[in-house]
Amino acid sequence: MSSASSGVRIRRLFQKTRFGIFAVFGLIVLSTSILCIYTVDTELTAEYEINIQNIAKTIADSSVGILLNRDLATLQSLVDQFLDVQGIEYIYITSESGEFLAHTFVPGIPEEILASDHGSTEPVERSLPGMGDFIEVGSPILAGVAGTAHVGMDLDVVALKIQRAIGQQVYLISVILVLGVLASIWFVNLAAKPLAELLAYAVELARDGEREDLADREILSRDDEAGHLARLFLHVARQGAGRGPAPGVGGRE
Amino acid sequence: MSMEGSIGQDGGSENWGPQVTRKSLMRGGLAALLVAPWTASTLGAGGGRESGGQDAEASGRTRGAGVTDDEIVLGVSAAFSGPSRGLGAELYRGATAYFNHVNANGGIEGRRITLKLYDDGYQPDPCVQNTMRLMLEDKVFLLFGYVGTPTVTRVLPILKKFQNEDIFLFFPFTGAQPQREPPYGDFAFNLRASYNQETAGLVDNLIRIGKRRIAVFYQIDAYGRSGWAGVRAALQKHGEKLAGEATYSRGEKFTGSMRKQVEILQGVSPDAVICIGAYAACAGFARDAVDLGLDVPIANLSFVGSENLLKLLTEGREDAGKYTRQLINSQVVPSYEDTSIPAVREYRELMARHDPQVPEELTREEYTPFAHSFGSLEGFLNARLLAEILRRLGPNPDRAGLEEAVFSVRDFDLGISEKVSFGPDRRQGLQSVYHTVVEEGRFVPLDDWGARFA
Repeated sequence: MSSASSGVRIRRLFQKTRFGIFAVFGLIVLSTSILCIYTVDTELTAEYEINIQNIAKTIADSSVGILLNRDLATLQSLVDQFLDVQGIEYIYITSESGEFLAHTFVPGIPEEILASDHGSTEPVERSLPGMGDFIEVGSPILAGVAGTAHVGMDLDVVALKIQRAIGQQVYLISVILVLGVLASIWFVNLAAKPLAELLAYAVELARDGEREDLADREILSRDDEAGHLARLFLHVARQGAGRGPAPGVGGRE
Repeated sequence: MSMEGSIGQDGGSENWGPQVTRKSLMRGGLAALLVAPWTASTLGAGGGRESGGQDAEASGRTRGAGVTDDEIVLGVSAAFSGPSRGLGAELYRGATAYFNHVNANGGIEGRRITLKLYDDGYQPDPCVQNTMRLMLEDKVFLLFGYVGTPTVTRVLPILKKFQNEDIFLFFPFTGAQPQREPPYGDFAFNLRASYNQETAGLVDNLIRIGKRRIAVFYQIDAYGRSGWAGVRAALQKHGEKLAGEATYSRGEKFTGSMRKQVEILQGVSPDAVICIGAYAACAGFARDAVDLGLDVPIANLSFVGSENLLKLLTEGREDAGKYTRQLINSQVVPSYEDTSIPAVREYRELMARHDPQVPEELTREEYTPFAHSFGSLEGFLNARLLAEILRRLGPNPDRAGLEEAVFSVRDFDLGISEKVSFGPDRRQGLQSVYHTVVEEGRFVPLDDWGARFA
């Protein structure tokens, strides 16, 4: 290939293709990320709710014998052990009459919790001043006749865990996007290279189609569309100049 | 017992009986209870090989668990570090003074009493680990002198789990109910009165002088809850309810602020506050209560560590009485100032003679002991009674005979006015509660509640 061909670049022809690839990949990443965020958020939130409900149920089940023995010190000891579970920020156990029998609040029981329905077991989101945002679930002790165990999980911790899980997923997708775009650019450039050579060859033919060396170019031996076009261009140029057909044009086409 | 400055080798316990491997610990379902780094120090009496206290070859043939021809080994896990280290230190010093006396006079049937010590910092998990090590590796004869409710309540299920081993916990420094009632009451023996008795005494007297609105400031754990429950039950008998409550986390230091807790209790306008805590936090609360104008009687239970509380509130202050005028401290042993009591005289004499110190390996933080304290007097009485029980086991002490030996204690004169009795339905030796206030920088008996606080 002559030096003239190296200076010719195919820019416009694949510009839209590149934008198209970016757009398609972007769309895929965006939609996959949104789906991923939604799925992970929904699934993990549900899982945390189930976990916290299970913990509340475990505490409630473990409390039965202790409550019947009126051993509140052991009950408090039991409650304290569950505070070691990551994300659990508070636990309280109320009697069937709503009296607080054990809890983990320092320096005191928040007003919002004092005023709440202590028999309720439905998940409820609480925002406690000075403490943060929590999801709280309850579990009845001895079908509720002995009281209720309540567990509060820090929503910030849950959100952080969900964000971390989502972040990992999006990170992976983003890496795939970057690799995909780089690969597509490489493939486009690969496709553009013979076209650039063909363009350069066509320019040379246009400038001086009589030159003998134009019939010995490497592009003429290519067995693809670029080779066919190059031979066709040479043929047309030679015919226009009153010379014979270009080598291989008639047989190949 | 000759403990002063004589440190045993960590791990020397293998000389006392079959070595317990990590595998055997796991077989016991306690794989997680591997030795924590900070449980490092152990102390054995007798100065190791030189005095023949630690080495089986020197000490003679191994008998039952924790017993050789020369010694009886007792296991201790207590608070020797952290904000409550004074509790473990004082209890230990009092007990050691008496055990030293016993050992100096030939021991029990020729056997010296040796303590195997571990520090738990008044934290439940380390206490559980220490207990497993004492039982399975050190193979001690019995557990003695534990400190605290949150620690002891976690140990009780272990005792139940190993009930076939006949290992008992003697005289823990806690008045909580779990080691006094089913399902764990059969595995412990208590000397001191319970928190229920202490809180009932405080509530009854406060209500008698017209202080009916009683609030509670308590440590948010098993100890605090035990005292809280005691106050609540005592108030119910008078037709009253808790006026309010405020809490703090275990391990709080005196330098921490208790202003939020004081403000919470100010909001319920109490006539008196009963504190269920350790000395550092309770001193902080008393200080902030006075500073914020909560001018009501502030009562503490025996566990608080009265002398340490007083020291924090008065040391370096010109007006030493500022923070102590409203203090009432409940005690479960008589005043160590009352030398008319025979046991107090002996206690003071032996403390002066032996002046036992906590082994350096366990004192990672500075602690200046008191010449006399309610805690060390309690430790002294604990040791005195335990020595008597060990004597009753005869020349061949065995764990299996411990319960019977304890139950044989009937109307035993411990040297205080109250006689000690035990039985299958009576696993607490003493029932008396004493009340004290601060006068001229020391605790004195409170005889007239009305004159002082009405």
